[in-house]
Amino acid sequence: MSTATATAVKVPQNERRFTIARAMAEAIAQEMRIDPKVFVMGEDIAGLGGVFGNTRGLYEEFGADRIRDTPISETAFMGAAVGAASDGMRPIVELMFVDFFGVCFDAIYNSMAKNVYFSGGTVKVPVVLMTSTGGGYSDGGQHSQCLYGTFAHLPGMKVVCPSNAYDAKGLMTQAIRDDSPVIYMFHKGLQGMGWLGTEPGATVHVPEESYAIPFGKAAIVRAGTDVTIVGVAMGVHNGLKAAEKLAQEGVSAEVIDLRTLVPLDRNTVFESVAKTGRLIVVDEDYQSYGMTGEIIASIAERDISVLKASPQRVAYPDIPIPFTRPMEQFALPNPDKIVAAFQAMKGNKKWWV
Amino acid sequence: MVGVKIPTDLWDEDTEAVITTWLVSDGGQVNEGQLIAEIMVEKVQHEIRAPASGTIKITQDAEAVVAKGGEIGTIS
Repeated sequence: MSTATATAVKVPQNERRFTIARAMAEAIAQEMRIDPKVFVMGEDIAGLGGVFGNTRGLYEEFGADRIRDTPISETAFMGAAVGAASDGMRPIVELMFVDFFGVCFDAIYNSMAKNVYFSGGTVKVPVVLMTSTGGGYSDGGQHSQCLYGTFAHLPGMKVVCPSNAYDAKGLMTQAIRDDSPVIYMFHKGLQGMGWLGTEPGATVHVPEESYAIPFGKAAIVRAGTDVTIVGVAMGVHNGLKAAEKLAQEGVSAEVIDLRTLVPLDRNTVFESVAKTGRLIVVDEDYQSYGMTGEIIASIAERDISVLKASPQRVAYPDIPIPFTRPMEQFALPNPDKIVAAFQAMKGNKKWWV
Repeated sequence: MVGVKIPTDLWDEDTEAVITTWLVSDGGQVNEGQLIAEIMVEKVQHEIRAPASGTIKITQDAEAVVAKGGEIGTIS
């Protein structure tokens, strides 16, 4: 552990280190105080404060009319959210695990995502659908998926994936104020819930005053010159750890946090790759037909001549996520796989062979 | 100097807790009553508040297993 004297200079005045869970709850509370149309519903989000802690304190402040526990029927309450939003309310609805989308997807992609278009823009659908993603703690293949690509692929939904508490608060504020559907995907491993194996890098200083972070603006979270590592959520933390390892070998890696998948900040990625010439995309979602391929295609179709080596992806293999811990950990992206991908680019040797 | 101790009345059983998150930095300034850490006992989270105002020294990092009454830091 670092000593008190070494860290004292870096600690901001009135420091508020927040988990993503607390940052989400604070943004929701601040918007609810100024907009009576905002309300929250979902399973165990009231008295319990959400199984991932992101609605803690809301029931106590706003009561049962605005913080609504629902029956265990995603089909029913997702339909209710779309209806309420189409009728002038601003619901925040929690789908406890994104893996449960199957039973409520008609309301999501045929109604929520399309009603703005079908009505020629006369009906607004300001829903925030917040949902947990990610595994790594042996919860099986129907509680561990990310499914970023599934939601980002279908038009009509904005898709948000914060990697730290500061972004989580600003992106939630922006999501609630947006007049169109926003899928707010929070990674369980970044929530600050111990049993989910928390990544400490996600817990950062969060200002108390309300603020919004615009969608479609990627963040360069580490500057570098030799290779660009792109990711969201846990992928950003894996990228930062890989960059640290690469630095010990004298390699300077730039790490980009996309922050939102829709809209997607292709330009920041392109400008970085134009500088470094090398691209590794990290994703805990399935590899094929997903975010990794989309990012690489964005560079290749704009100007392939910026690439000094074939881009690499470090993503989840195209298999259902195993329950068994050694098997799940073997399949998950990690910093060592990113380092190996870089070495493969340098040596033209496929790292997975 | 005041010890930051795990209260003995936060939960009933004599089970151990895990520090899930420090909400302040080592060497940071804290005020008495301020929320400074979260701990977890069998998937239930509990809050730890500062017993005094001053500079905090963290002696047990996140992920550490602690018992009721155990010291996890000091404030001076």
